[in-house]
Amino acid sequence: MIPRLRRKRKTERPSRNQLMPPEGVPLTMQIAGVGVRLGAQITDIAITTAALVCIMILLATLNITGPQTIVAIGALLFFLIRVPYYILAELAWNGQTLGKRIMKIKVVSHDGGPLTTHALVLRNMMKEAEVFLPGTLVLMLDASSPLGSLLAFGWIAICLFVPIFDRYRRRLGDMMAGTHVIHLPVPVLLKDLAREPRVMTRDKKGFVFLSHQLDHYGAFELQTLEGLLRAQETRPSGNILAERDKTIAAIVEKIRKKIGYASPVPPADRVKFLQAFYKAQREHLEQRQLFGDRRENKHYAQNGEDA
Amino acid sequence: MQDQDLMRSARFRKEREADWQRLEQLVMAAESRGLQYMDFAEARDLASLYRQATTSLAIAREISLDKALLGYLEALTARAYLCVYAPQERLGGLFQRFFSHGAPQAMRRSWPFILLGFLCMGLGALSGYLLYFESADWYYVFMPAELAGGRGPDATYEALRSVIYDQNPDSSGLGAFATYLFSHNTRIAIFVFGLGVFACAPAVVLTFYNGLMLGAFYALHVDRGLGPDIAGWLSIHGVTELSAICIACAGGLKLGTALMFPGDVSRITSLRLAGRDALKLALVAALMLLVAAFLEGFGRQLVQDIYMRFIIGWGIGALWLIWFLFAGREQK
Repeated sequence: MIPRLRRKRKTERPSRNQLMPPEGVPLTMQIAGVGVRLGAQITDIAITTAALVCIMILLATLNITGPQTIVAIGALLFFLIRVPYYILAELAWNGQTLGKRIMKIKVVSHDGGPLTTHALVLRNMMKEAEVFLPGTLVLMLDASSPLGSLLAFGWIAICLFVPIFDRYRRRLGDMMAGTHVIHLPVPVLLKDLAREPRVMTRDKKGFVFLSHQLDHYGAFELQTLEGLLRAQETRPSGNILAERDKTIAAIVEKIRKKIGYASPVPPADRVKFLQAFYKAQREHLEQRQLFGDRRENKHYAQNGEDA
Repeated sequence: MQDQDLMRSARFRKEREADWQRLEQLVMAAESRGLQYMDFAEARDLASLYRQATTSLAIAREISLDKALLGYLEALTARAYLCVYAPQERLGGLFQRFFSHGAPQAMRRSWPFILLGFLCMGLGALSGYLLYFESADWYYVFMPAELAGGRGPDATYEALRSVIYDQNPDSSGLGAFATYLFSHNTRIAIFVFGLGVFACAPAVVLTFYNGLMLGAFYALHVDRGLGPDIAGWLSIHGVTELSAICIACAGGLKLGTALMFPGDVSRITSLRLAGRDALKLALVAALMLLVAAFLEGFGRQLVQDIYMRFIIGWGIGALWLIWFLFAGREQK
C-alpha cells in the first residue's frame, strides 16, 4: 500500500526539469548537478586567480608595495576582481560565466520569467558567503583552535548539503535570488523516418499491417525502435556488423511472433520490414492519441483496467 | 513523394521545418553576437518565431510520437526562450538607478531595522563603557589581545596618545587601505549580514559585542583624560564604518525576520522578497566600508588636527544621511 501511495505522489508533482515560460508551454531544461557546477566554479576560480597573479607580478616588478602588506593587497585585489567578474559576466552573457560557458550550463529564473539584475547580484553576493568565506576559513585553519575548525567544517557541510538535498540543486543564493542552473539544451534536427520513400520489398508488394496487429505496442516501444533504426545509418565494419544483423534478426522474429505476422521476412528485407512497421505503428498510435487513447507502453491495457 | 501520402505528424513537421531552421539560425546569431546588435527585422522575427515554436511544441506533444522531432523542438524553444528573455539592461543605467533611488528608498523602507541595528550597537557601547568603570578588568574580557595592539588598562597616557597622533611610517596608503579592508570590522560586517539569516540572533549578538568593545575602548581613553582625542581619532572613519556595521546588521535582521515570520507566503518566498531590500542594504554597507577604508588608509595619517578629524568624520556622516533621506523621493 505504501509504495503505491508514494508512486502516486511522485507522478502528481511536475517534473523538476520543467520550466514554465510566460507563453504557458512548459519547456524541458535539464537541471545541472552539483558536480558540473563545482567544475564550473573551479574553472572560474582558476581564471580569476590567473588575472590576480598577473597583476601581482606587475605590482611586484613596479616595487610599489612592501613585503608585509603584499598578502593583504593580494586578498583585496582578488576580492575586487572576482566580485565584479561574476556579476558582470552573468549580466553580459545572460547567466553564464566563462566557467559555465565551458561546462555548457546556465542560470535561469526559477519562475520562468526573465533573469533580473537583482537576482544575479544577489546570487553572486551570496557566493561570497557560501564559497569564498568558508574557503578562506579552511585555508586559515590552524590545529590550535578546534572550535574554529569545527565551525568551518559545519559551515562547509551546510553549504554543500543544501544543493545536494534540494530538488532543483539550488544553493542558498539561488533560493534567495529565485534562480536555478540548467544544462544548455542543444537542438539537433534528425531527419523524419516517416518521410522515407515507401518501403518496397523485392517482390514490389510492400509490407501491409492490419489494425489489430498494431495494437500490441505503445509509444515507448515505438521510440526504442526509432532509436534502433537511426543507428542503422552508420556503417560499422566486420564483427560489429555481424553482431548487429543478429540483433535485427532477433527483433524481427520477436515482433512477428508478437503481432502474428504470418509470412516470413527474407534476411535482405529485415530492416525494410522494421521501417515499414515503424511507419505503420506510428501512424496507428498517433491516430489513437488524437482520439484520446494515449498508449505510453505495451502495458497500456492493464494500466487502463487498473484506473 | 506526395504530401497526402505522409502521415499527419510528418506533414506537420514538413510545413514548419523551414521556420524552425530560421529560428535556429537567429538564436545562434543572437547568442554569438548579442541581441542588441541584431537588425530590427531579425529581432522581430526571433520573437515571433519563438512564439510560433512554442505553439508547435505544444501541438507536437499532442500529435507526434517522433522522438527526434520532440527533442529538437524542446531544445530549440528552450534556447530561443533563453535568448528572448535575456536581461536587457545597460550597466550605466544600473548604477544610476541604484544610486539615485534604489538604495536610498530601500534604506528608508527598512528604517525600523536600521534603528534596531544602531540600538544594538549603542546599547553595547553604553554597557561596555559602564562596565569598564565598574572594573577595568572587563576590558580584557571584551577586547581580543591582537586587536588592542598593546592598548590596555595598564598602558600609560603617553603610549595611548602616541597611537592617536603619531604617524605609522610602515603602514600608510595602499597597504593600510588593504589591511584595513580585511581587518576586524569588515569581517564583522560580513558575518553580521550573513548570519542574520539564522534567526537574527547572531547578528544582534555580534553587533552588541562590537558595541561592547567600542564602549570599553572609549572608556579606557576617557579614564586617561583622552576622551575628545579618541573621539576624533575614531570619528574620522568610525562614523562611516560603525554605521556600515549597523546597516549590515539591519540587512541581517531583515533576512532573519523574514525567515521567522514569513506571514502568508512560504519561507523561501518571504526570504526572496526580503532579499530585495537586504541586498541593497548590504551593498550600501560595502560601499561605506570602502569609503571608511580610504579614510583610514589615507585620511587618518594626513589629518592630525582633532577638529579637522571631527569635521571630516561627521561631515561625511551627514552626507550619507542626506543621501539616505532625500535621494529618490517621488514627486507628489
